[in-house]
Amino acid sequence: MSLAPARFGMAFSIPLGSELAALVAVGLLGALGYVVFPDDLAFLTRLISITLLVLSLDLVTGYCGVATLGQAALFGVAAYAAGNACIAGLTNPFLLLLVGMLAGVIAGILSGLLIARFRGLQQLVLSIAFGQLVAALANKLTAWTGGSDGLSGITPAPVFGVFDFDLYGHAAYWLSVGALAVIMAALAAFVRSPFSLTCEAIRDDDLRARMIGLAVYPRLVAMYAVSGAVAGVGGALSAITTGVVGLDSVSFERSAEALVMLVLGGAGHLWGALVGAILFQVFEHYVATSNPYNWLVLVGLMLMAIVIFAPGGLMRGVDLARRRRARRRG
Amino acid sequence: MLLTILSLIIDAVSYGMALFIISIGLSIMMGLMRVVNLAHGAFAMIGGYLASYALVNLGAPYLIAALIAVVGTIIISIPFELLLYRRIYRKSDSLTQLLLTIGVTFFIIGVMNFVFGPTVKPVPLPSWLSGPVDIGFRMVPAHRIFVVICGALTALALWVLFDRTDFGVRLRAAVDDSDMAESLGIRTDVLYLLTFALAVGLAAFGGVVGAELLPIEPYYALRYMVIFLVVVSVGGAGSIAGALAASFLLGLADTTGKYFMPEYGDFFFYAAVIAIVFLFPNGLLGRESG
Amino acid sequence: MNGLSGLLLAAIAFSMLGAGAFADTIKVGVIGPMSGPFALYGQNFKMGIDAWVAEHGSKVAGHDVEFVYRDEGTPNPAHSKALAQELLVKDKVDYLAGAYFTPDAMAIAPLLAEAKTPLVVMNAATSSITTKSPYIVRTSFTMWQNAVPAAKAAKAAGAKKVAIAVSDYGPGIDAEEAFKKTFEGEGGSIVESIRMPLSTTDFSPIMQRIKDSGADMIFTFLPSGPPTLGFVKAYIDNGLKVQGVKLISTGDVVPDPDLAAIGDAGVGILSTYHYSVAHDSPENKAFLAQIAKDGGKVGEVTMTAVAAYDGARLIYKMIEATDGKRDPDKAIAALKGTQWMSPRGPVSIDPETRHIRQNVYLRKVENVDGKLINKEIETYKDQPDWGLEKH
Repeated sequence: MSLAPARFGMAFSIPLGSELAALVAVGLLGALGYVVFPDDLAFLTRLISITLLVLSLDLVTGYCGVATLGQAALFGVAAYAAGNACIAGLTNPFLLLLVGMLAGVIAGILSGLLIARFRGLQQLVLSIAFGQLVAALANKLTAWTGGSDGLSGITPAPVFGVFDFDLYGHAAYWLSVGALAVIMAALAAFVRSPFSLTCEAIRDDDLRARMIGLAVYPRLVAMYAVSGAVAGVGGALSAITTGVVGLDSVSFERSAEALVMLVLGGAGHLWGALVGAILFQVFEHYVATSNPYNWLVLVGLMLMAIVIFAPGGLMRGVDLARRRRARRRG
Repeated sequence: MLLTILSLIIDAVSYGMALFIISIGLSIMMGLMRVVNLAHGAFAMIGGYLASYALVNLGAPYLIAALIAVVGTIIISIPFELLLYRRIYRKSDSLTQLLLTIGVTFFIIGVMNFVFGPTVKPVPLPSWLSGPVDIGFRMVPAHRIFVVICGALTALALWVLFDRTDFGVRLRAAVDDSDMAESLGIRTDVLYLLTFALAVGLAAFGGVVGAELLPIEPYYALRYMVIFLVVVSVGGAGSIAGALAASFLLGLADTTGKYFMPEYGDFFFYAAVIAIVFLFPNGLLGRESG
Repeated sequence: MNGLSGLLLAAIAFSMLGAGAFADTIKVGVIGPMSGPFALYGQNFKMGIDAWVAEHGSKVAGHDVEFVYRDEGTPNPAHSKALAQELLVKDKVDYLAGAYFTPDAMAIAPLLAEAKTPLVVMNAATSSITTKSPYIVRTSFTMWQNAVPAAKAAKAAGAKKVAIAVSDYGPGIDAEEAFKKTFEGEGGSIVESIRMPLSTTDFSPIMQRIKDSGADMIFTFLPSGPPTLGFVKAYIDNGLKVQGVKLISTGDVVPDPDLAAIGDAGVGILSTYHYSVAHDSPENKAFLAQIAKDGGKVGEVTMTAVAAYDGARLIYKMIEATDGKRDPDKAIAALKGTQWMSPRGPVSIDPETRHIRQNVYLRKVENVDGKLINKEIETYKDQPDWGLEKH
């Protein structure tokens, strides 16, 4: 069930189908959230910035096969960058998102240069070491990060000069929904690009990819740059909607959590990342409040079950169902 | 100055030995079964909890408690091996291994918290192991000397096991070429199970004797996981000498870092890890993974 | 049929009207770590509040008071802000309380003005928190408040050369600054100043460095849990104690529930703190008795319970002063300068800083009747938040 490219009456067709679908779908989800949980907008806003982190992780882990437990570094660095920019006087929310995106790209490239160099255990260890290095720096450089007390006093200007970041969180929410929609649309186009497809080839068989002349390392670093941009927007959103950036933004827990959400939804699918992130966080919000240790048990069981029985996560289940239906029809 | 250096070396060796005892099991598993077992620390933790329970609640003497811990942890780990680990042996997909073993880790953390609660559980040392020992130029905690002795004995025992016994011969054959080994009649599934038990038993033992340095609480499994991974990665999978060298090196880096520049401790440790991985991609003494 | 349903509807409407007139519940949203590694402290919040409610009832000036709890978990400002927003917008709470971690308190502060809601901080100990909003009042402590008397006590105990070893994060650095400034101001000398990474588990090299510095006393701060136990044990096992180097810390390093794990070797360790479970006063005895009666374990009581207990008192006072109406300025004004006898000793709310002024006690770990306790041996009266005074 693929959406046919929309023709605009021109000599060539502009395949905008899946991008428009992404925009519309996220917009609808946003509206749904607004209507169903009108008093929980702060929670939903936070959910969206984490979802962007998971999307960024999907790009490197799902599409490139990089095993990393250090993705939060990109998110956190961007959050601190946007926070500092705001405190320094740059209060336009859109410019702050841009600052976050740029910081994320830089962090992403640095991260990629280190992590994409090796595979296997070395890669994993490097990703953890990088993440912990950034966390240690964040703790030490208190002038930029506030250390363990957090970077506070982030007060962005109203969106379009009109919509205030107030107690009810409407402006924050719709800004986040908008950012997510635009990014999903952009990524929908991106993952169909030749570049992205070559990255998937690298993921599937590194050796063969090299044999057909694909330069693996530079491609992975480039993908890390894109991933950094997405994580960067997420981090910036988190900073300006919360008003505080804490050390938890660069923590190992944040990285591990993102990976779990990605696996639940299905790595290697954009919608998998989205669905996994949303479902996990909503579930956590309503279930985990009793006792996080019990929640850990559930998450552990879920991970084990997914690896053994459903390695593609939820999206694979959806895919299989679709294929079965297609086979029955055809 | 010389005394300071000697002193630091003593601290480094004892810390390194604790790391070695716990990490060597992980290295063996990595070498033979090609599994990056992130849950290794969780099994060490279980060992610590069992020993704590035996010492505090059952009043067992220290060495008996350690034995209970090792045997108990092995028994607890068997279902994990049969149901889960078996499916990922020799699969080179590190992401799958990562996810499965993290799942096991979370599960164990949650269960341990449920059974034992969130506070630190002490592993009380017997009087002959506690307190300082005067070795002339400084006082050394007695249990550190004990850890060093345990580490040395463990290394020796493993060397004998791998080099001089039938089991060791078969193990090394399976590591080198598991298909060939199977066709020669070596039961690799039994071998894997025994090796798994060995690795877990070593982890549990390390968890018990290292409890003074790495306190037992539910997040132990995640907190120190990084250090164990680094030891194996730096030392090279499957190499006893490599693991010893890596443990000592990292112990030294950590100790000297803490002595000279403690406020930068973490930063330099991880920077050193990154540097070492780049300089020695196959570990200090390991071999190219086939 | 129509007549009957009409009557029914009218009856329901009437009862709702009636209910509306009388069921005027003041809600207090308490944000604390109810689960996870810091669950003990969140539970202490609840113990303290429950004890107050058990003693004083759940009605103030004719209004019902209801405490609602939300889980702070681990330090996560975005999460805490979302919790606060949910409490304010959805549950429409009249007061906020709790806040165990500093970044979480910082995230909540900007909401208070718009929501016209006071916040009673029951733990987060960074001095600057009370400056973030005029509607914040704090009943716990600050690092400066406890560390300045520690320096004075060190001087009084005859220490001349002190080595400072603190965990390398906000509260640790605060403690180091506070101690250094005070001790040097009194003529002592700091021979060593070490900041230890939070992840440190092996303290032997630190002890070695302290020994090499020739200090006669160590001042330390670490967050309670594995680090404090490790530090104290390393201090003992590396022979510093037998060689005569004394140890003084803030009470966070020797929390009452952990003393048993430290063991008899810990006897003699000095600490300065605003509360000890062994505090000998009728109010404290009554407080602990009430907690035991409610089913709480006295062995798990920490200073957070007392902070919550006193916080509940302040909330009741605010409700009284505003007669249950939403008037944060009036509520906070009513608290400034107020004094009372807390289970920890005599306390008051500083009108300038809105932080609690209290006695800070010098305690020594002693074995009394086979049990290890922090025995108060000296009192530093009416200590303010030195962090805000000096800056």
